[in-house]
Amino acid sequence: MKDPLVIVCAGGGGVGKTTTSAALALALAARGHQTLIVTIDPARRLAGAMGVPVTDEVTLVPLAAAKGRLSALMPDPRRSMRAFIDYLFADEPEAKARVLSNKLYIGLADAAAGVHELVAMNLVARAATDGDFDVVVIDTAPSRHAIDFVTYPARLAALLGGRSVSWLAGLAQRSGGAAPAPRGLLSWGTGHVEHLLARVTGPNLVRDTADLFGDLALVRERFVSLTRRASELLLGERVAYALVAAPTAAARDDVIFLAARLEKLGRRPRAIVLNRADTRPAPWVSALRAGRGVAPSITDVLDALEEERSTRSSAADGLAAHLHAKLPWASIVRLPYVEASAPEVIVAALSTELDAHLAALLPEAR
Amino acid sequence: MRPAASDSRPPPRPPRSLAPAVLVMGKGGVGKTTVAAALATLEAETHGMAALVEFGDGESGKRALGRSHRGVEHVVITAAEAIQRGATPLFGSATVAKLALGNFAMRPLLRAAPAIRELAMLESVRQVVAARPGVRVVVDMPATGHAVAWLRTARQGREFLGSGPMFELCDRVARELVAPGCASIVVVTLPEALVLEETLELCESIARDPGLEVARVVVNRVPLPLSREALVDARALAATEGALARPAAALVALLEAREAASAGAAEALEVFARGPHAIWRVPLAPVDPSARDVARWLRAEGAA
Repeated sequence: MKDPLVIVCAGGGGVGKTTTSAALALALAARGHQTLIVTIDPARRLAGAMGVPVTDEVTLVPLAAAKGRLSALMPDPRRSMRAFIDYLFADEPEAKARVLSNKLYIGLADAAAGVHELVAMNLVARAATDGDFDVVVIDTAPSRHAIDFVTYPARLAALLGGRSVSWLAGLAQRSGGAAPAPRGLLSWGTGHVEHLLARVTGPNLVRDTADLFGDLALVRERFVSLTRRASELLLGERVAYALVAAPTAAARDDVIFLAARLEKLGRRPRAIVLNRADTRPAPWVSALRAGRGVAPSITDVLDALEEERSTRSSAADGLAAHLHAKLPWASIVRLPYVEASAPEVIVAALSTELDAHLAALLPEAR
Repeated sequence: MRPAASDSRPPPRPPRSLAPAVLVMGKGGVGKTTVAAALATLEAETHGMAALVEFGDGESGKRALGRSHRGVEHVVITAAEAIQRGATPLFGSATVAKLALGNFAMRPLLRAAPAIRELAMLESVRQVVAARPGVRVVVDMPATGHAVAWLRTARQGREFLGSGPMFELCDRVARELVAPGCASIVVVTLPEALVLEETLELCESIARDPGLEVARVVVNRVPLPLSREALVDARALAATEGALARPAAALVALLEAREAASAGAAEALEVFARGPHAIWRVPLAPVDPSARDVARWLRAEGAA
């Protein structure tokens, strides 16, 4: 069995990335694909609208009519640090107990960026192996650094695998002692750093850091294998990146930034999806404007809406031209602005629009 | 551009004046940077000078401020500089700090340990404020979850370290920046039920730890309701059998969505008006407004 195709959706905040990802997954399922949508930063309202609980379990999304099947995975970010520790220390219960009571760990548990993404990718890897999916759509967190976690694990692994850990682990014993004899500025080395570090941070931090990294070094192999699987899924041959934007200067710069970030990882975005980028009035607006005997109150509203739309459209035209000039290899998919209260209404409308663009978004078949 | 809405709202209570540092918070994509730039612009218009602090590359603040930002000093703080600056007094000299930070074991540790960067950035903000007496410093904070963690690092570090130069740094940040009277929080939110709910949680969470009161809530992108009459007429048309029934139903859905968003904003006004914070509204524009537009709207809301 072949690995599934993966579409990674990335973009800044407020551009409609989660909604677009859900719409894309729905469009794929409607076309007959066995699809999995993974939301790294679940919007509870959307989860609720799709009837999907925010858990570590893959849940089937009830669809009225689709040739394929749509499943969703929306892991809870608040529980991922604990899940991460449970996974790493599955075979080391004593070390695990020490880590969970380590003050440094308790202080850092909320702030450790990248851990949730890593845990989520571990769940994706498991689902991809067990689940018989053709396509996985991954909705990353709304941040310029959403894909940085791909390198974060490698950085942590380098820390755990490198000289740093043994140095740190031995630090607590050594730092109590006297400063080493001066050896001149050129040979300025570890002894000085240890002494300075202990002087600057006090004995508690040094001891807790040493303990924590000593325990993490025990589970280095599990950590590295977790990292490897995440990288395979995100940077492999069967992956395409879609950058999601809207006609705002901030979103434009986020796309350029993310594309440069991807380039560093040896990847290019396959497509850029522009939300709120209608090219013409919606068919129903044209129908009402052409209709006879429509109340003046409605005509006035349609005029106001059309003025807003044309302002949006010209902003979107400018953005599309700019992005095309900067990233000529990426297809640009423009989606209309859908104004509705219910998220499922927006998702359904966008998925109909996306149906015509699936080939531009899917990774090229290999 | 449309003026700020001025429909029924609770009687304004006199807002408490803002502290020397104004920390602008909110979830990603709510328009935090534009509001921060607008607040700095407004402050400069009123008092002649202001500073806008931004973390990262400085691009988004520059973009939001636009070309004309007389009196606003744009201060960009990067993590590397902040760590270097914060470490210098700890290690006694810039050279020693540089050597220690560049050490093979320290480098990966610094890259992997997030709290150190955050603390260093806050220390830099403290220095920016201290170096500009009488000038209000508006800080464009990172997105919500991150920002709260940032604000807690100083107190956590103080408790955890107990003594030593780094303890003193934490203590200084906790007493001189992250403290009532030193910093005011401005939260930016959107008139959507879920976002508003998160904002209320954020306000409570900040009040608990680090114990700062949210001084102002800016409800951004408040849609002005389109005419009621049009909604009534569109509903009537949607109920007919004709060819226009379906298009009219689409219009009804759009008008109802706008009405719900306006109602959401009104509801937010009510909920927040019970608290100690003043509420400012910024209307929805079809495309990005400039900091000056937003400053004008904030002024109409009584912000200056």
